[in-house]
Amino acid sequence: MTAVVEVEGVTKRYGRTVALDDVSLEVRSNELLALLGPNGAGKTTLIHILCTLYVPDEGRARIAGVDVVRRPLDARRNLGVVFQEPSLDDRLTVLENLDFHGMVYGVSARDRRDRIKELLELVELTRWRDHQVRALSMGMKRRLEIARALVHDSRLLILDEPTVGLDAQSRERIWAYLHGLRSWRDITLIVTTHYIHEVESCDRVCIIDQGKVRAIDTVDGLKSAYGREQLRLVPHDVAVAREIEEQYAGALISSDGEVVLEVEDDAFVAGVLSKYGERLLSMTRVRPSLESVFLALTGRELRDAEADRRDTLLAFGKRGGEHTR
Amino acid sequence: MPEVVALRTVGQSIVAVYAIWLRELKRALRDRGQLIGGVSRPLLWVLILGIGLNPYFRGEVYGEVRFVVPYTYLQFIFPAVVALNMMYTAVQSAISVIWDREFGFLREVLVAPVPRGAVLLGKVFGGTTVALFHGALVLVLARFADVSLSPAKIVSGLGVMLLLGFALTSVGVVIANRLQSFQGFGVFANLIILPLYFLSSSIFPLDPALTRAQTVVRYPEWLVHAIEFNPMTYAVDSLRGIFIGFNQFDPRIGPIVLAAMSVVFFALAWRDFRRL
Repeated sequence: MTAVVEVEGVTKRYGRTVALDDVSLEVRSNELLALLGPNGAGKTTLIHILCTLYVPDEGRARIAGVDVVRRPLDARRNLGVVFQEPSLDDRLTVLENLDFHGMVYGVSARDRRDRIKELLELVELTRWRDHQVRALSMGMKRRLEIARALVHDSRLLILDEPTVGLDAQSRERIWAYLHGLRSWRDITLIVTTHYIHEVESCDRVCIIDQGKVRAIDTVDGLKSAYGREQLRLVPHDVAVAREIEEQYAGALISSDGEVVLEVEDDAFVAGVLSKYGERLLSMTRVRPSLESVFLALTGRELRDAEADRRDTLLAFGKRGGEHTR
Repeated sequence: MPEVVALRTVGQSIVAVYAIWLRELKRALRDRGQLIGGVSRPLLWVLILGIGLNPYFRGEVYGEVRFVVPYTYLQFIFPAVVALNMMYTAVQSAISVIWDREFGFLREVLVAPVPRGAVLLGKVFGGTTVALFHGALVLVLARFADVSLSPAKIVSGLGVMLLLGFALTSVGVVIANRLQSFQGFGVFANLIILPLYFLSSSIFPLDPALTRAQTVVRYPEWLVHAIEFNPMTYAVDSLRGIFIGFNQFDPRIGPIVLAAMSVVFFALAWRDFRRL
């Protein structure tokens, strides 16, 4: 299989902060690769380098063999992007947004007409063709952006957190469209996310944390290499939690008070049960999961890793901060 | 073949400029507030302020009076109102640059396979067209201001307005690129438009001696210098020369100042866009 995206030793710093630290990876033709990591892990920086918006300090990146630093215009031709924040024009209609994109990417009038018709059906927005974008819901906007990124017949589609800010139902629909896209024609997809359950259906997963690639493999490959069976305990009170933590090496108390233990064997489980059984509210034995993979690779749980930044941002937005509409 | 690729890039850039220009136009036409402002502003300035101050502009009505400025006040401010209306639309384009940046649309354009120069050109052409349209709205009021417009006057007037629109939109983009966040329209209007407008000899002539009897009056030097320093003065003077045949400066200065403004500010805006 040929590589559509090649990233070699890319490093990017913002002042003293290292956003990406010697990142190398390859994305194969027609695969669906998930970039998984907490907010601030460097996913978006990597995406911006691939989109030619940022220039890496070191290393290089190629899209379909085209160097993104040396030939940015040619690199962009092969690329469709859906950014984290919506980048549609609210005052233009659905059709006008798509048409604008086609024109700017040099798509002929006939191809524009045919493709837009097809794409609108694909994302089920045909009925909204002549509505201004501001009348659309968040989920519809995201679908429109996916359609827009395909108007110029791009073979590589990059989506940066396409499901952030959507309700559970819309999130599932977005994924359904992405899978639908792959059965419709050849396409390579890179999707970043910090929702761990979303990546189960991807071909390969690249785990990024603190600017470094921790692992890149299929979901099963990751689970068998790094996954551990876990015991998730909900103790009566904090004292019990502390006691268990002291008793077992590698025990971890998560932000919601659960104690997570690595399972060694059945005897281990029986041991925990006999010792603490009456002081637990619940005990769950979890098969090797991606959560445990993330824990093994980074020493943290993904949902804990992301908490601070995201919460501050949300709180900021709720206060009506700077650029929220 | 590099020639073919280059040609394709040029062709694609032209289409891109057109697409961005078209978008600016559509947005401007859908923005009711902007349209209402574009119509009500000239009405206020010409019909109310102009008519209201008309009698005070030429003080002496008895005896034989020779006027230094042989025009009514309405005629005098009419060309300046054209410039004023265009300044407001330039601010609108500046705001649209900020909106595009803050609300994400700019990214869509920046990752497109077109040079940054083409993006900027489309934006500035769009702003220029809208400004020209808003300037032309004022011309509709010409007969109320007792200004007679021949086709020749209209053509050369539109020529100067085109230059002015281009220059103003470029200025707007340069300012927008330097603003970290959106401060609102009022700040713009009060800090930029109105001072530039009042200091462009728009609402009073540089020489206060309207009639011989008033020749003793002089404006303070700082005011005269400020007016002479303001490029808008020459734009207004140029329009006034064309529409009512009254110039306070050499009529050749206006177009030269506007062309220089266009070049300098477009170049600055271009430099900013390449860094984005």
